[in-house]
Amino acid sequence: MISFALSEEQQAIQETVRRFATNELRPRARELEQSGVPAALRRTFHDLGLALCDLPERFGGLGLATAALVHEELAFGDPGAAVALFGPHLAPSALVELGDEAQATRWLSRLDRPGARGAVAWNGAVTAKRAGEDWILDGEKRFVVNGDGADVVVVFADDQAFVVEGSAVTPGRRAAWGALQAVPVASLSLAGTRVAEANRLRGDRIALARFFARAQVMAAARQVGLARAGFEFALAYTQERTAFGQPIAQFQSVSFDLAEMAMEVDAARCMVWRAAAELDAGGTSGVFAAAKAAMQANQGAWRVADDAVQLLGGAGYIRDFPVEKWLRDTKALAVLGQVDEVSQQTVAGGLLETGIAFPLDALQPVVT
Amino acid sequence: MEFRLSESQQQLKEMIHGFAHSVLRPMSLEADRAHRLPDDFLAKLGMMARAFPGGGAAGLTANDDAPVAKRSSSQHRTTLVASEEMAWGDAAVILSIPGPGLGGPPVRFMGTPEQKERYFAVFKQPGVHFGAYGLTEPGAGSDVAGIATTCRKDGDHWVLDGRKCYITNGARADWVVIFATVDRALGRAGHRAFVVEKGTPGFSVGKIEDKMGLRASETAELVLEGCRVHERHLLGGEEHYRGSEGFMGAMKTFDATRPVVGVMAVGIARAAHEVMVDFVKQNYLLSRPIPRYGALAAKIAEGARLLDAARLMCWRAAWMADEGIPNAKEASMAKAYAARAAMKVASDAMDVMGAHGLEESHLVEKWYRDLKVFDIFEGTAQIQRIVIARRLLK
Repeated sequence: MISFALSEEQQAIQETVRRFATNELRPRARELEQSGVPAALRRTFHDLGLALCDLPERFGGLGLATAALVHEELAFGDPGAAVALFGPHLAPSALVELGDEAQATRWLSRLDRPGARGAVAWNGAVTAKRAGEDWILDGEKRFVVNGDGADVVVVFADDQAFVVEGSAVTPGRRAAWGALQAVPVASLSLAGTRVAEANRLRGDRIALARFFARAQVMAAARQVGLARAGFEFALAYTQERTAFGQPIAQFQSVSFDLAEMAMEVDAARCMVWRAAAELDAGGTSGVFAAAKAAMQANQGAWRVADDAVQLLGGAGYIRDFPVEKWLRDTKALAVLGQVDEVSQQTVAGGLLETGIAFPLDALQPVVT
Repeated sequence: MEFRLSESQQQLKEMIHGFAHSVLRPMSLEADRAHRLPDDFLAKLGMMARAFPGGGAAGLTANDDAPVAKRSSSQHRTTLVASEEMAWGDAAVILSIPGPGLGGPPVRFMGTPEQKERYFAVFKQPGVHFGAYGLTEPGAGSDVAGIATTCRKDGDHWVLDGRKCYITNGARADWVVIFATVDRALGRAGHRAFVVEKGTPGFSVGKIEDKMGLRASETAELVLEGCRVHERHLLGGEEHYRGSEGFMGAMKTFDATRPVVGVMAVGIARAAHEVMVDFVKQNYLLSRPIPRYGALAAKIAEGARLLDAARLMCWRAAWMADEGIPNAKEASMAKAYAARAAMKVASDAMDVMGAHGLEESHLVEKWYRDLKVFDIFEGTAQIQRIVIARRLLK
């Protein structure tokens, strides 16, 4: 039966993370943007026990539906922090979707520690060559979240995926980004890195699609949080700010903008929840739901963030207010994951029965 | 958090889909051209609707006079599931299901027990019976508080004078709920609602509208000229109108109907989207990979996204209604979002199919025509945004 109700546990988690985001993240967003997330804040977040919340319950997580609530709240506090505090990042998702039970259990234990960081290295050509029982990886990966020093790295090489020790790769230069600066994004290189066959992840194409879908849902949940932040800020500001003798929210053109923003936030959230629930239920339907949720959230959040800057006018453009940051961050969230153009191919491919489109087959987006 | 239908909802959906596919679709074009549905079909439709008390395809027009509290807790959601499938077949049919129609809710919410008994009794009689809702006037649409139809007490009767327009099933209705004012200066407090029965002297049908879409649905002008009705016809009796509660009560019905209207738009647009996808499969795809036609893939995917988002917004509002959570804002969001999304999807389907979309046999041009009114009736796009904004700014 269709229900938008949250369980008591979900409500409690949402409440806790909202408090954390409001008290710890929002006031420090500029500081985090300048110098990244400090170790102390990582520890505080780790104490909430939510570092691996996106995993299925059998791996000790809460499932994607609950994780979507968590990451909406985190991004409501600060979108950059929402990604950066998610220390293991997408490595656990790659392990549970692409790896077998033993591989997942073994490597997840490495990521379930305070301050542990994981990475999934996608973008860039790395070759995988057989060498007896092992594989030899060579090449460079770019735009890797936590690429500056992850404990565990999942590397896509040729048509394969491998899990390697962080110490086996060479961290490269940190990228200088115009948005989401709290997130450490760097290149990394592998030079004759030897990987045992036991560390090759053997998931099939469905598993690969589900991995991307999980990543999309998490990113989309953050877009919802970002959009809500922008909407609420603009809603409050336009009721304070007066022009021509009245609060500008009383002007119909402004109030209609606010109504549109509210609709975009809610529509994106509905899509994220549905996709998360579908992925939690297993199978492939969640893959298409996630692609649609990502498109909805990317477009909706951009629109809301843009409207928020617009409604604040000049104040929206200066850094005294957070809205200009959200307009930059929303674009970064949209291109950090699978871009909408690829999602469109996935959705259309499903409807036209030509199969699920992969970045491998079509464009090569930045997937981290 | 759950987004799948219950087993019984799934069964209902499949059953209505089968009906929509094998009965509604084949008659859709002819009914559109003829401006009417066949009488024997309406009779069968009425029997079908009665078989689903309070649910089923009834949606807007449930033959259901049970108090809200006594209905099943999933009724709003189930109604949405049924309405989407019916609209997928032909939306004009939903508006033509025999029953009290939009006239039902005001009688249910405002009527005295005797009035409910009297006016709902007719739908238990054999034959085809309709109720209707007469609020809109040539000079008062969205601003319903501005109605100019007057009512004047004369002994134990009321005398009504004015014109009503765009009244669904207005000409064939057994009775119509007519909103009138005792004094325009009083605004909403001056409003009174009467049930005026067919054949009442001074009550006549003006022209039947020639519409852009939903042409199989009857839309009539009603004329009241010195129309005398006994005070028993005043909904709720005099007591009901101390203050403006009576009118607000009538407005509350929109919280239940707007998500239904929204999901009907989703059903129509889904039909257009499916035809577009089939068209692309047959005419463009050949054996080439889709990226060759990236722009088509984009339209197909965007349409699928919009339909899902719109449906979820409607479901959310219906879920709130089922749970007894106030949903005026969400109901308006659902309708506003769905109507616009649906129009965009249908427009894209026309673009993709080119001249083929204009061919009547494809039905796409009909759906495109049908859809436009979803951004207008039950509150225009602008009225929905006013409702949403008012609640945001409170």
